[in-house]
Amino acid sequence: MTGTAADAPAIRTEGLTKSYGRKRGIVDVNLEVRRGEIFGYLGPNGAGKSTTIRLLLDFIRPSSGTAAVLGQPAHGSAVALRREIGYLPGEMALYPRLTGRELLRYFGALRGVKDLSHADELAERLDTELGRPIKTLSHGNKQKIGLVQALMHRPSLAILDEPTTGLDPLVQQEFYRILEEIRAEGRTVFLSSHVLAEVERVADRVGIVREGRIAVVSEVETLKRQARRKLELHFDAPADATAFQRLTGVVEARTDGKVLELTVEGSVDDIIKLASRFTVLNVVSREQDLEEVFLTYYAAPTTPVADAGDPPPGEGS
Amino acid sequence: MLQSIATKTIRDGRRSLMWWSIGLGSLAAFTVLFYPAIKQIPELDELLQGLPDALLRLIGDSELLSPEGYLNSQLYGAIVPLVLMFYGLAAGAGAVAGEEENRTLDLLLANPVARWRIVVEKALAMVVGLVVITAVLWIAVYLPAVLVDMDLDPVNLVAVQLSAALFGFFMGCLGLAIGSATGSRGLAIGLGAAIGIASYLVNSLAPLVEQLEALQKLSPFFYYYGADPLRNGLDLADAAVLMVGGLVLVLVAVVGFRRRDVGV
Repeated sequence: MTGTAADAPAIRTEGLTKSYGRKRGIVDVNLEVRRGEIFGYLGPNGAGKSTTIRLLLDFIRPSSGTAAVLGQPAHGSAVALRREIGYLPGEMALYPRLTGRELLRYFGALRGVKDLSHADELAERLDTELGRPIKTLSHGNKQKIGLVQALMHRPSLAILDEPTTGLDPLVQQEFYRILEEIRAEGRTVFLSSHVLAEVERVADRVGIVREGRIAVVSEVETLKRQARRKLELHFDAPADATAFQRLTGVVEARTDGKVLELTVEGSVDDIIKLASRFTVLNVVSREQDLEEVFLTYYAAPTTPVADAGDPPPGEGS
Repeated sequence: MLQSIATKTIRDGRRSLMWWSIGLGSLAAFTVLFYPAIKQIPELDELLQGLPDALLRLIGDSELLSPEGYLNSQLYGAIVPLVLMFYGLAAGAGAVAGEEENRTLDLLLANPVARWRIVVEKALAMVVGLVVITAVLWIAVYLPAVLVDMDLDPVNLVAVQLSAALFGFFMGCLGLAIGSATGSRGLAIGLGAAIGIASYLVNSLAPLVEQLEALQKLSPFFYYYGADPLRNGLDLADAAVLMVGGLVLVLVAVVGFRRRDVGV
């Protein structure tokens, strides 16, 4: 972590704003990403995630506000800073005529990384094809090369824009393990995604961006705790909702014959204890995933929200 | 070859550079090899004398039978500088705007390289390309000239090649400046080519059209061809104009590129 203030936050933006003519930019984004965390930057496509990232990397300049990365201003010290950053673009294009290995050698040379053994190790773990010209590769394989180049120099801060698009599930799992190792080494990951299950799976904290503004920043665990869950109790006789309705944490209770459907916030302890007086044939619990949490933030002031329903693949369990 | 932006750019362009060199070189070689046949027709010069001045200016020389007049009219008056101009424009426009349109610029900029370095290294790669093409061209003219007993001064031949390469350099830097400042490759090539061709026409026709006379000194083509380097050798002042002008345009490219948002 040479040359960067080690105690400064990995990312700090204050009032960061970028307006494009008619296109949407971002408005007054205040973010603080701590060292050593995986921060999920969540929002549908077009919400301003990539705009934020491109400001952090000094590809574009803010209309107002400031951004500091690893304790240095994103604009003034951009070159030295980029030695410490690994970047995977959202809409990535690689040099089509190079092979993956040649691309890694090129970027290694530009970054002063002579030893490519870490790159090789990452490539191997992600099962990356490095020997063929990039133009002949599938989208998933290109994505893997993009990930390897972003992480090959052990950056203090990895900024990954939609990193798992096109990856098959097994490779995704390996990629999540790599992210966890990066965190274990005290390095930071800023991961933008429109896939809720992904952020829920790996991130410590999440910032939800909505129409260019930060809607909420929170611990993933806190968000999940606030989350409501659906509980279905199957009895051997027609159920009575009223007793359950009175329990704390029960938001809604309705019966459907012998089945009692409850919407619960927080602990289910009281419910289980009450239910134990009856003959329970089956309990079905479905934890509300971030998607639903997410939608509550999205449904907030301006309804209807057209683009909030970006369908995330992978159902929460 | 993948150790720096400059060498990678040369590597990327090596195949196209080979074709530019082969194309221009073989055209030049065949042209020279035809010289003995042309020399058999003394009437050609009389025919040329009968042509209107404007046409002669566009042809590039008023005699066909001397080695210099023949090469000027067939090669150096228009084809060679225009080919070098298009090579330079393609390289200059492609340097930043090309990577931007191919969307590879983001990843390149994510590396610890300053924007000015990208511009300068790509300009260097363009210079190497121009040197290769003109070196091949020199060989492709001089060897056949020896073969067919064409009496040419090899040093003046270097001078005209160098002047033409400088013209290509200047025009390439123009493409680089437009492309780097706007991010549009099409604009850089289109506007650059329009300016280049206009400068050729202005230089050729200026002595005939009073209104154009003042413009001649603004024409980059004039600083390549005005002093007739194949006959008179390199005009250092003219060469310096193209060289310094090109460097100023590189500076414009750097400033324009540094100031703007990329890839929006």
